[in-house]
Amino acid sequence: MKKRWNKIKTFFSKPYNVLLVLFLVVLSFLVVIPLISIIRDTFIVHSSEKSRVHQAVGTFTTYHWNRLFNSEFSKSLLWDPLRNSLVTSIWSCVVSIFVGGSFAWLVSRSDMRWKKLLTKLFIFPYIMPSWTLALAWKNFFKNIDVTGSNGIFYSLTGIQVPTWFAYGEFPIIVVTGMHYAPFAYILIGGILHNMDANLEEAAVILKTNRLRMFFRITIPIVMPAVLSTIILVFSGAMASFATPQFLGLPVRYYVLTTELYASINGTNPGVGYILAMLMIAISVVIMFINQKMIGNRKSYATVTGKSANISIFHLGVWRTPISLIAFAVVMCMSVIPLVTFALESLLSYTGVYDFSNLTLSFWIGQAQGHDTWQSESGILRNAEVYRTLWNSIKLSFTCSLGAGTLGFLAGYCIVRRRGSLLSKTVENLTFIPYLIPSMAFSAIYLSMFATKRGIIPSLYGSFAILALIGTIKYLPMASRSGVNSMLQLSPEIEEAGIIMGVPWVKRMTRIIVPIEKTTIVSGYLLPFISAMRELSLFVILVTANNRVLTTLLLFYDEKGYTQFSNAVNLLIIIVVLFINFTVERLTGASIEKGVGG
Amino acid sequence: MPNIKLVNITKQFGKGSLAVDNLNMEIRNNEFVSLLGPSGCGKTTTLRMIAGLETPTEGEIYFDDVCVFSDEKGINLSPDKRNIGFLFQNYALWPHMTVRKNISFGLENMKWSKEDIEKRVDEICQTMRIEEYKDRYPAELSGGQQQRVAIARTLAPNPNVLLMDEPLSNLDAKLRNDMRAELKRLHLNTGSTFVYVTHDQSEAMTLSTKVALIKEGVLQQYCPPLELYGEPANIFCADFMGNPSMNFVDCRGVKKGDKILLDCKSFKCEFTPNDKIEVPEENEYVLGIRPEFVNITDKGLKATVISSLPSGMETTLSLAIGDVNLSAVVFGSVDFAMDSEVTCNFSGDRYVLFDKASTKMLSLGSLKVTD
Repeated sequence: MKKRWNKIKTFFSKPYNVLLVLFLVVLSFLVVIPLISIIRDTFIVHSSEKSRVHQAVGTFTTYHWNRLFNSEFSKSLLWDPLRNSLVTSIWSCVVSIFVGGSFAWLVSRSDMRWKKLLTKLFIFPYIMPSWTLALAWKNFFKNIDVTGSNGIFYSLTGIQVPTWFAYGEFPIIVVTGMHYAPFAYILIGGILHNMDANLEEAAVILKTNRLRMFFRITIPIVMPAVLSTIILVFSGAMASFATPQFLGLPVRYYVLTTELYASINGTNPGVGYILAMLMIAISVVIMFINQKMIGNRKSYATVTGKSANISIFHLGVWRTPISLIAFAVVMCMSVIPLVTFALESLLSYTGVYDFSNLTLSFWIGQAQGHDTWQSESGILRNAEVYRTLWNSIKLSFTCSLGAGTLGFLAGYCIVRRRGSLLSKTVENLTFIPYLIPSMAFSAIYLSMFATKRGIIPSLYGSFAILALIGTIKYLPMASRSGVNSMLQLSPEIEEAGIIMGVPWVKRMTRIIVPIEKTTIVSGYLLPFISAMRELSLFVILVTANNRVLTTLLLFYDEKGYTQFSNAVNLLIIIVVLFINFTVERLTGASIEKGVGG
Repeated sequence: MPNIKLVNITKQFGKGSLAVDNLNMEIRNNEFVSLLGPSGCGKTTTLRMIAGLETPTEGEIYFDDVCVFSDEKGINLSPDKRNIGFLFQNYALWPHMTVRKNISFGLENMKWSKEDIEKRVDEICQTMRIEEYKDRYPAELSGGQQQRVAIARTLAPNPNVLLMDEPLSNLDAKLRNDMRAELKRLHLNTGSTFVYVTHDQSEAMTLSTKVALIKEGVLQQYCPPLELYGEPANIFCADFMGNPSMNFVDCRGVKKGDKILLDCKSFKCEFTPNDKIEVPEENEYVLGIRPEFVNITDKGLKATVISSLPSGMETTLSLAIGDVNLSAVVFGSVDFAMDSEVTCNFSGDRYVLFDKASTKMLSLGSLKVTD
């Protein structure tokens, strides 16, 4: 008995053990219990469903499951959105790997022009919010039949693009693929760039011709990167909400996320919760495949060497045309969207691209009254905009502080006790939020925290619930980087302090934190920027009270206030870019380094 | 300057894997003890348990009469209360602090006064000959200099016991030799107790006053190095010490009075134990012959030179006597033609007889070729 007590005492005398136990308790409450609570929510009647289920609120029902899987609505509620999600996700992978992979090859293996500038701009979509390209697409190609006005493309060429080109499946695939192309570029390019030239030179010496070498050596070596890109893009596309919302909704093209949003915001949240569970299941399957496939091939990725002389492929007569095409594509992904936002936000009447039609009133105009867009004052004069901007910044700051700090501490204690069951459990717990698509995760939190739970009051519509979900959702990013950086730091560095009797807090603040400075800063930066441009995680949790900039954008877009939504969008992008570059300048930490983490 | 006593120390990692198994040893004041063994044998774990960085599963540790660890009594003194210094294999210098700060950080923490710290830093830097690097960062120093800084940092608080975990393994061969000599002087000058972990038998031989040879968590032999070399407790100890390593010849022995007649297949010989031993009439043995005790002489066993490796100071030979291979060391600058014939013989009383079944040493003795 005494012996056991001694063991417990020794166990808790180590700060990392205390931390691990704390993490275990807190994460169980914030991650595991919500997962259980959502299952319960698929079987009960919610208050907005009273009239359709004809049962008392809170009683047991199989109505939701029946309706989703076994009714005339199954097709429109479940099978169509599921099919659409899968189709858009798969084709997005193809687009992004084609675009990003070709670009990676051009940059690292050919003599394409303007490499430096092009690579900088190519990364842009990764920093910008996911819907940037979607909104730009809409600005460009929108169609008078659907939105009541034509886009920039029409006014430049006089050609009205068909509806399938402007809305729905096709643009969602292109836009999502382009958005994730930087992933493919960074992952594939990283391997191409570090790949030891000897591997190819050995083939040349064995008299292999160029084409054969490309297909038999280069491609197999980048294969692991291609696979990780597929996994990332596929799960990203499955979880994406803004793009299908902006481009699919006008033609009633639903994917799982938009259907989930519609159900939860509409009159049948129960169905939404089942959809959320379905999304979680899909993403768990993807991760499982990922581990099976990449886990044992990962060793490939480390076939790298610091090779000084990579063999460069000479494009010859094609050099200039290819460079120009690359330049055009990169411009369409980075600069042109920003120009369209600026332009759209200055139009007095949408669809009329004429100098006489330009106005600054959506930026600095006074409210005109009445029930139109003119009832709102220009966004730089609008108290609501400032309130949401401030709310966004406050929220991003809180999430990054929470996720960054917890992630670093989690990384610390996971690594210190690596190999133990406790550490493994906590590591998996910190990783679960990554597996859960944002929209499904917020559905879970809605189900969990919409009512009073124990000592926790109902958090619906509060700042706290947004801060909580952001912190937990971004924890995997930060704890990943925390674990990786702690793995590189030998425990002896800390033990040298223990021997001298340096207390734990001082060991952390004076020894470990200063050494890990850069990774810690990027551990804060990543969640900050992610929260700043996050829409799908927050959208079903906000009310008029705790609105953030991104949901304000959606609000304007849904109302059809094109100028306002473009202006707000521009505002978000400016804030994100500003913060990214400031932090990069100040600390040398960069968001690109966290890609694929 | 304390005696360190380990009583029934056992360390288990997770379920099943026993790193240290019921270890009992006493490290006396002012000794230089090496914990020696192949990698994974539990030597570093033992050192870390003495330091208090690792918690034993069972047992007790005493510094003099003070119990610093006991699982029964629930005592576990933290490392800083044991007055020890610990030198890490990779130095563990704090990369973001200058040499001066690295040394003074610990002292500040022990609430030394500013003047005392400054004095001590200067003093120790002088001892370790790193004065001119005081304001550099570790990354700006060579491996040898980093090593000195690490030693300076460890010695600065005047620890009674200095624990070292393979501190020389990251240095190149020449530097390592210099540092060995320096460590030995340091041991003399500080008068502290040194406990040193290494897997390099020659390092343990040359440095320590006592060697603890460990295999799979079990202490095999704990004695002065020359004794370990000359009178190994079992085949493992004999094999681990010495380079080139000892020759082991399987043989069958028949008792004949005080002597034992050994049949080594390719040759026969007579083993005379130095002390009387009790052996069965007939038994399987392993005969241990150090290479330096295989003499190349005019008369004796015929052997073929399989290889000859002259290094200037001595030449290592590999000889074949029938089916038995023996390595031999000939001192001086000599070389032998490969495949040539030589004759060899045995002299002196440093041949070791092991029991084949238990691998334990039975006796030292002399050897006479009979056939």
